[in-house]
Amino acid sequence: MNKLEFFRRLAEILNVEEVTEGNVLKDFDEWDSLSVLSVLAMADAKYGVVIHADEIRSVVKAADLAELVEAKQK
Amino acid sequence: MKCIFRNKRISAILSVVPGQESCFDDERLNYNLTEEKARRMKKMMGLDRHRVVPPGVCSSDLCLFGLQQLLNEGALKKDEIGALVFVSQTPDYYLPPTSNVIQGKLGLGHDVICLDLNQGCAGFVIGLMQAFMLLDIMDAGKVVLLNGDTASKLVDKRNRITYPLIGDAGSVTVIERCVEENPVHLCLKMDGSRYRALIVPGGAFRMPSSSETLKLAEVEEGVVQSLEQIHMDGAAIFNFTLEDVPLQIEEVLSFSGNSRESIDYFLFHQPNQFILKQMADKMKIPQEKLPNNVVGIFGNSSSVSIPVNITHNCGKQLRNGTLRVCLSGFGVGLAWSSMVMKLGPLTACRTVEYAAA
Repeated sequence: MNKLEFFRRLAEILNVEEVTEGNVLKDFDEWDSLSVLSVLAMADAKYGVVIHADEIRSVVKAADLAELVEAKQK
Repeated sequence: MKCIFRNKRISAILSVVPGQESCFDDERLNYNLTEEKARRMKKMMGLDRHRVVPPGVCSSDLCLFGLQQLLNEGALKKDEIGALVFVSQTPDYYLPPTSNVIQGKLGLGHDVICLDLNQGCAGFVIGLMQAFMLLDIMDAGKVVLLNGDTASKLVDKRNRITYPLIGDAGSVTVIERCVEENPVHLCLKMDGSRYRALIVPGGAFRMPSSSETLKLAEVEEGVVQSLEQIHMDGAAIFNFTLEDVPLQIEEVLSFSGNSRESIDYFLFHQPNQFILKQMADKMKIPQEKLPNNVVGIFGNSSSVSIPVNITHNCGKQLRNGTLRVCLSGFGVGLAWSSMVMKLGPLTACRTVEYAAA
């Protein structure tokens, strides 16, 4: 998985210029239930993986989210 | 379960919506939403307006109104009715069955069988299954399938998760035998282990009504609810619609010997625009073949959303001709049911507004 591309997609969903791996997701204004749904949809459509609601709730940093998607792809 | 029904057809569908329209823009303040968040939500879910019944109007009133219209215009005669199937999660009473009440109000004969089914989002297709099964065993007559839901009575106006999406509606579908084989392919699945994903936890007998179950509380900002109202795990439902439903669509297409291309329309339950767009993309179905506009015009009316989708989007085409359609309802239960059939020409296929008698 191209992580830079993943972070770019995440930035698009969160409506910010840039997301880096150290960013804490909860710190973004738009990290809410709508964005969570968009992330679930993006993971499914672009990476072919299904992330469950409880899995995403335990994610803290952007890097953790990328790792979760990557791990599921294997 | 998979099965095929033969020599049966739908001859008329009438959807009934309340006359009263409520707009998301006006409701925004009830949810404590900032303008920006409201704008995002509106765009993503495809919200605009929805129909809500005034106090005192029940699901059965909407259905009865529609049935009376069909009788008045001669699309159906009273003595042709062999059975009434009423599908709803908002019946008039715990007992008796609402279908019996409707039979009585219409003055139908004692040979008219009445059945209530407690089904939601999958309830139109499950209701059709019940109707087809009845036609197999009845000596004569048509089956009238009534779908009615008034979810507005099960949500609080200050709940931004549920209230903006719901809509109240009723529908009347006439199902009868026919000479042509007209095969109808059905795939149906249920998963009761996920029953909590969409639930009204209190007010029945597992958790009887009490001051505790009636208490309204703001569980998070803009989410006011009581235990006697709908609780939805949105993310779990979303996972379900992207994981389980597309597989079933594949299944019913191959079971019926169809491809995406040979289906004219995919007329699905209407939870919200976001889910439907994702589903279409995932299944590689062109967006124009899978309408997603119902939630922003009428709201999500549970088991009535497919008939509203049909009459609103395909009314004219189905009055004049035939379409090969794939119907799919999915949600509460969990239950998901998909059907491929030839539909039309129908003697009636339109949406009407409810007017109190």
